Amino acid sequence: MSMTSSSGSTAGRVEAGEAARSDKQQQTTPPPPPPLPLPQARTGGFLGRHRLSAAITRLDQEILSLQEEINELETMDPSSAACQEVLLSMEGKPEPLLPVGPEDVSWDRWFQRVRSSRGHKWWTHKGSDFS
Amino acid sequence: MSVAELKERHAAATATVNDLRERLKQKRQLLLDTDVASYALSHGRTPISFSSTDLVCCRTLRGHTGKVYSLDWTPERNRIVSASQDGRLIVWNALTSQKTHAIKLHCAWVMTCAFAPSGQSVACGGLDSACSIFNLNSQVDRDGNIPISRILTGHKGYVSSCQYVPDQETRLITSSGDQTCVLWDITTGQRISVFGGDFPSGHTADVLSLSINSANSNMFVSGSCDATARLWDIRIASRAVRTYHGHEGDVNTVKFFPDGQRFGTGSDDTTCRLFDMRTGHQLQVYSRPHENNDNDVPTVTSIAFSISGRLLFAGYSNGDCYVWDTLVAEVAFNLGTLQNSHEGRISCLGLSSDGSALCTGSWDKNLRIWAFGGHRMVI
Repeated sequence: MSMTSSSGSTAGRVEAGEAARSDKQQQTTPPPPPPLPLPQARTGGFLGRHRLSAAITRLDQEILSLQEEINELETMDPSSAACQEVLLSMEGKPEPLLPVGPEDVSWDRWFQRVRSSRGHKWWTHKGSDFS
Repeated sequence: MSVAELKERHAAATATVNDLRERLKQKRQLLLDTDVASYALSHGRTPISFSSTDLVCCRTLRGHTGKVYSLDWTPERNRIVSASQDGRLIVWNALTSQKTHAIKLHCAWVMTCAFAPSGQSVACGGLDSACSIFNLNSQVDRDGNIPISRILTGHKGYVSSCQYVPDQETRLITSSGDQTCVLWDITTGQRISVFGGDFPSGHTADVLSLSINSANSNMFVSGSCDATARLWDIRIASRAVRTYHGHEGDVNTVKFFPDGQRFGTGSDDTTCRLFDMRTGHQLQVYSRPHENNDNDVPTVTSIAFSISGRLLFAGYSNGDCYVWDTLVAEVAFNLGTLQNSHEGRISCLGLSSDGSALCTGSWDKNLRIWAFGGHRMVI
């Protein structure tokens, strides 16, 4: 049950997580003393086998998946094909945030006078200086 | 089989996996004959340039009393929902700057919020490991609060991100610190599908972000602390369609490219990248220009593409907001240099649905709206 990110630098998430973690620590009781040693076959053996089996199954599945992907690459287009598609995808597309291209008047609503319940408000006029 | 024999098999399988991963990496490298910038420049594309008065902060939305962590626009252009460390969601009319709703949350540790397609409901999630749904038309309770209309429980870790399936009021996808993503039926509160977890090819660390393909809403991509992005088909939860390698740190943010065939990522490794969905190729890396101080290079917290895809907005942990020219991989402008920019980390950003405005949210407790206020050369 992990509430914490494995990386320390996603600060917003870590910040919230740290608060939760310190709460948890205050509630943790000290660990019990270690049990007397027992023959391995009666304690660690079963769990060890089970976990190892599960891990091997996962690895085998990953091997199959990697082999599939390697095979796929044999007939795959190089990156230039996709790069061309990226270029073409932008042709003729209107773009409100660029200084060139076709225009739609509704884009200018951010600079127009808007009536609000507090009376008229006038936002910075398009094209004027901003300090 | 004895433990010793199993251990041998495990070691052998691990060695095979490592060998195959290396072979895969090399084969992929051979297929990268160019990147977007080299291709675009060799085909005569020139970089965009902005003057310092082109992109303008035209609204500052003040009201949160804590860091802003997340924001989302409505599909119908002018409303925004934001989530903050102050334990509240605020719904804004971005055009008038007015707050139409302020929702006090049961769990103050909220990390993400989203608007429903109709604009009538909002969803949020965080450290409570649940996703709460609020109907904005509900009658407020005795304390003046909007009651929860549904709570989606089942994750075993924090909810890092949530997004409604486009045009589907009753379906939502979440990403979580429990290493899975989940597709929910909001009407019943039940999980429809779990992506990852027990199944192979799932993320192997916290999932931090997700983006649903608006061109094909059966597909979504997720980004994780395991430094990969993964593509999922919501009809096939049993395995990821593809895993995208390249980043060297947590993938904090993922967003589909407007054409629905590529997606962008942003990471703790300080870069943004563009991946081709179908082939898995890494088409472009967007690396910050060389910094004087090599320590503490700002990480990428959030990204969004402009409506044509030509611009990639990237928020960084130091308050920078780079406007990347996606095609030539150069920084066209840094909104962080403007006088009236944020005074802290940019944690979230998003474009209005018509692409005419960018909203940024920050640890300085404010949201800002940016639009093009310069002179346009109409073609």
